Amino acid sequence: MLFLFILVAGAVLSYVGPWWVIAPVCFAGCWWLPRHAASAFWQSAGAGALLWVGYSVYLHLATGSGLAAQVAGIFTGGAPFAAGTGGMVLMLVVSALVVALVSGFSGLAGLRMRQLARPGRRRGE
Amino acid sequence: MTKLIKHIWPLAIALLLIYVFHHAWGVLPPLGKLLSPFHGYFQNTDAGKAGGGSEITLRGVTDEVVVRYDDNAVPHIFAQNDEDLYFAQGYVIARDRLWQMEFYTLVAAGRLTEVVGGAALEYDRFNRRMGMARSAEAIAERLAADTVAKKVLDAYAAGVNAYIAQLDYKDLPVEYKLLNYAPEPWSPYKSILMLMNMRNTLNGGSNDVRLTHVLAKYGPEVVADLFPNYPAMESPIVPEGTVWDFNPMAVPPVPQEVTVSPDSGLLAFSVPAPRPEVGSNNWAVGGSRSATGLPILANDPHLQLTLPSIWYQMQLSSPSVNVYGVALPGTPAIIIGFNKDVAWGVTNVGSDVMDFYRTRFRDSTCREYWHDGQWKPTTMYVETFTVKGGDELQDTLYYTHQGPVVYHKPSTTGYTDRVPVGYAMRWVTNETDGADVLTFHYLNRAKDYSDYRAALAYFTAPAQNFVFSSNDGDIAITSNGKLPLKWEGQGKYLLDGTLAAHDWQGWIPREQNPAVRNPPRGFVSSANQFPADTTYPYYLDWRFAHASRALRINERLEAMTTATADSLRDLQNDNFNVDARRILPRLLRGLATDDSIRRSAEYDALERWDYRNDADAVGATIFESWLDKLCDAVWADEFPGNEQLLYPSLDRTYQLINHEPDAKWFDNVLTADTVETIDAIICGSFRRTVSALRERFGELSADGWAWSSVKNTRIMHLVPNFTSFGRTGIVNGGGSSIVNATSGTHGPSWRMVVQLDSEWPQAYGLYPGGQSGNPGSVYYDNMIGRWAHGELDTLLFLKTVDEQSPRLRRQVVLKPKK
Repeated sequence: MLFLFILVAGAVLSYVGPWWVIAPVCFAGCWWLPRHAASAFWQSAGAGALLWVGYSVYLHLATGSGLAAQVAGIFTGGAPFAAGTGGMVLMLVVSALVVALVSGFSGLAGLRMRQLARPGRRRGE
Repeated sequence: MTKLIKHIWPLAIALLLIYVFHHAWGVLPPLGKLLSPFHGYFQNTDAGKAGGGSEITLRGVTDEVVVRYDDNAVPHIFAQNDEDLYFAQGYVIARDRLWQMEFYTLVAAGRLTEVVGGAALEYDRFNRRMGMARSAEAIAERLAADTVAKKVLDAYAAGVNAYIAQLDYKDLPVEYKLLNYAPEPWSPYKSILMLMNMRNTLNGGSNDVRLTHVLAKYGPEVVADLFPNYPAMESPIVPEGTVWDFNPMAVPPVPQEVTVSPDSGLLAFSVPAPRPEVGSNNWAVGGSRSATGLPILANDPHLQLTLPSIWYQMQLSSPSVNVYGVALPGTPAIIIGFNKDVAWGVTNVGSDVMDFYRTRFRDSTCREYWHDGQWKPTTMYVETFTVKGGDELQDTLYYTHQGPVVYHKPSTTGYTDRVPVGYAMRWVTNETDGADVLTFHYLNRAKDYSDYRAALAYFTAPAQNFVFSSNDGDIAITSNGKLPLKWEGQGKYLLDGTLAAHDWQGWIPREQNPAVRNPPRGFVSSANQFPADTTYPYYLDWRFAHASRALRINERLEAMTTATADSLRDLQNDNFNVDARRILPRLLRGLATDDSIRRSAEYDALERWDYRNDADAVGATIFESWLDKLCDAVWADEFPGNEQLLYPSLDRTYQLINHEPDAKWFDNVLTADTVETIDAIICGSFRRTVSALRERFGELSADGWAWSSVKNTRIMHLVPNFTSFGRTGIVNGGGSSIVNATSGTHGPSWRMVVQLDSEWPQAYGLYPGGQSGNPGSVYYDNMIGRWAHGELDTLLFLKTVDEQSPRLRRQVVLKPKK
C-alpha cells in the first residue's frame, strides 16, 4: 500500500512539482501509513528508485535515444566502460541511489515525526 | 532530549540530502535536478517522431505564422508580414539551438568565466582585449537607428525571448543542465556578437610579427625572395586578363620606414596565424557550360566542424520574400541560399585587415601616446569579469586611435606571458559602420544582378567572395567588404604607431573591389586565393590561401561543357591532390637515389598512388604526413620555431624544390661540416616520416595506413570536455589543400548546389550535423553519414504555405495572444 502510494502520488506530483517532491510524498506516506522503521525506509527508497528508474527506462525505450550513455561519458571522462549500455546502467544506478537516499530518509523521517507527534499510536512496535 | 534527537535525525538527514542534491558542488551540477527523469537530462531525449500539428499562442506575433517541418526537421516558415517572419525565425531557431547561440555570444563577449569558471579567464580577457564586445555594442546602438535593421533584429530577439520565457528547468537544453546555468534574454546586440565571432574566425589571424622577425634576421632581399607579394602558381578569382573598368584612386606612397624592428626584450606573440584550414569554395557555371542553359551555383564554406553545427537550414517566406538556405544560429535572415530567381554563396577573402602598431606611451600610466609629432590621449575602459561562483575581476583596456592595445603591460599569467607589450591593433572587426545583416536581408529578396550589387554595399566584414547567379543568366563574383587602402606592402610587418604614414589611409572604393560578371570563360569561382592578379591597382595582402584548391576547381570547370547539379556535387567531393602532382615526381626522383628507400613498401605505395586523397589511399597518408616533415627539413634550421620566424609558403617551397635545387636553403646550417643536397633533405625527411607513421600505425597496411583512419575526421561538441557529445572516426577522403577540404577537424560545414530555372530552382545541400542542437535527438547528427559519403539532400523549397509534399511531417502554428 505504502509502496503503491509513493509510486502513484510521486509520479503525479513529479510531473508538476520540483525534483524533490518525492521527499514530502514519502514523508506523508509514512506518516499516514505507519509501519516498522526498516520497512518505512526501504519501501520509500524502493518506490522512489523504481519510479525514477522505471520512468527513465520508459523514456529511453520510447525515444531510442542514447543520451544517458553520452551523459555518463561526460561524467567519466569518456571511460570505455561508460559507453553504450554500461553508461546507461551507470546513470540509472546513480540516479537510483540519489532518489533512494532522499526517499528512504524522508520516509523514515515521516514515521519518526509521527511517533514524536502522536507517541501513543504506534503500530507494529 | 535523546528522544528528540532519535526522532528528528532522519528528517535532518533527509533535508541535508535534498540540500546537497539541489546544489552544484564544484563542476558537479545539482544531481537531484539532473538525474530526475521528470526534470533532468532524460527530458532531453527525443525520438523526433512527433507528427501532426500543434498550436502555440504567443505575445509578439501579429498574425498567424505557419511553420511546417519536413522529414529532415527543416522548418518552412510562412508569415504574413516581415516582423512576424523574423520573430518566428528567432523562435524556431531557439527551439533547436538556444544553448549554442548563447554560447557563441558568451565567447565573443569574453564572458565564458560566468558559466565555466575561472579556467576561462585568460581566454575571456584576450577576447575582451581584442575589442569585439565593445564594437558589437556600438554596432547594435547604430543599427537601432536604422528602420529596417531595427525591425529585423528586434523581431528576431523578441522571438528568441518568447521561447526563453516558456522554458522551465526541464525544457532547457541539456548543456544548461550539465553546466548549471540558465539562458539570459536575447537582444540585437547578441545577434551582432554572433557575427563578431565570424569576423574573428575569418579575419583574426596575423603573420606580421613572424615575418618582421624574418626581416630583422635576414634583411629585405631574402624576404623579397622567399616571401614574394604574389605566388609562382596562382589562378586568381578575377580571371587574368580581365580589364579593370574604373579609374583607381591614388595609392599612398610607400614611406621610408615600412616597419619597426621587433623589440628584443619582447616575448613572443600569441595572435594566431591565419588558419589555412578555414577557407571555402564557391563557383557558378554559366548557361554556356550547363546542361539546362541556365547557371548552376555551388558553395561549401570550410570551418571547424562542430556539434551542434554552425549552420541551420530553413525556408523563410512572407509577402516580401521566399528564400531557402542556411542561417547562423543567433542571426536573422539566410546567410547562404537561394530564392526563386537567384542563388548566392560566400568564401572568405582573407586579405590583410589586422595590423599592429608599436605604441610609445608617455609614461607608465599609458594615458598619452606619441603620434604624428604630438602626445595624444588614450581612451580607457574598465572591463569587469564575473567568475562563476561570484568573484569579480577588473581589467583596464587602453585604446589609441588605431584600436585596442591588446596588452599594455607584462604579466606572467595565461596568454599574457606570450604576448608582446604595447602594440595597438587596427582590425577591421572593430569597424562599426555598415550593416552586415542588411546585406543578407536584401540578398534574400534579390531578383537580379543589380539587386545583388545593391545588397553587397551594406557589408563590412569579414570580407567575403560573394558568388552569385540568377535565372536571367548572370553569374558574378565580388570580393566584398571594407578593404583598407594601403601602400604596397603596408602591414606585411609590424607598424610604427608614431608615424601617421603607417595609419590606414582610408578604404578602397567599394565599387572598385575585385569583381567580375559573366567572364568569357563561362564560370566564376573562388577558393580563398588571390582575388586578382598583379594588374589590380590596390595592395590587398602579400599572401592568400595556397592556390591548390583554386587550381583544381578552375581546371575542372574549364573542362565542363554540359554541367549538371551532380557535376558540381562531384567537384565538391574532388579528392585530387594538386600539390602531389606538382611536386611528387621530383620528390620520387630524389627518393630513388637511395636504394634502401627505393625498395621499401612505402616508396612503392607512393609511386603507385594516383594523387587522390581518397579514404583508402595509403599514398595520401604518406604524402600528407611527409609534407610537414619536408618543410621542417628545408626550413627549421634557418627558421627555428622558438624564434617565431615564419616559414616561406608551400608555393615558394615547391618552386625551390622544382626549379632551384641548388638553393642554399637546402643545406642544413646546423651541420657545420657537411653540405646537404636537396636529395639528402628529401630522403632524410621521408625516413623520419615513415618511422613516425610506423610508430603510430604499425607496419604499412591497407587498413592501418588508410588516409581516413590516419586523418581521423571528427566532429566534436563546442564544449571541449563533452567528448561523448562528439562524433569520431568518420570515414572520408579529402584534406586541407584538397577541393574536398576535409581535414581532421575542419571541412565543408555546408554544401549547397543550386540549379536555377526560369520556373522554380532545384537545390541540393546538407551539412555535417543535424537540425537539432540536442544530443538526445535523432536530428542531432543525422546528416553526418550522408555528408561523409559526399551525398546531398534534395532541398524542399515550397512555393506556398499549402503546397503538399509527402516529405512534410508536422506543423506548428504560432498564434497571436489576444
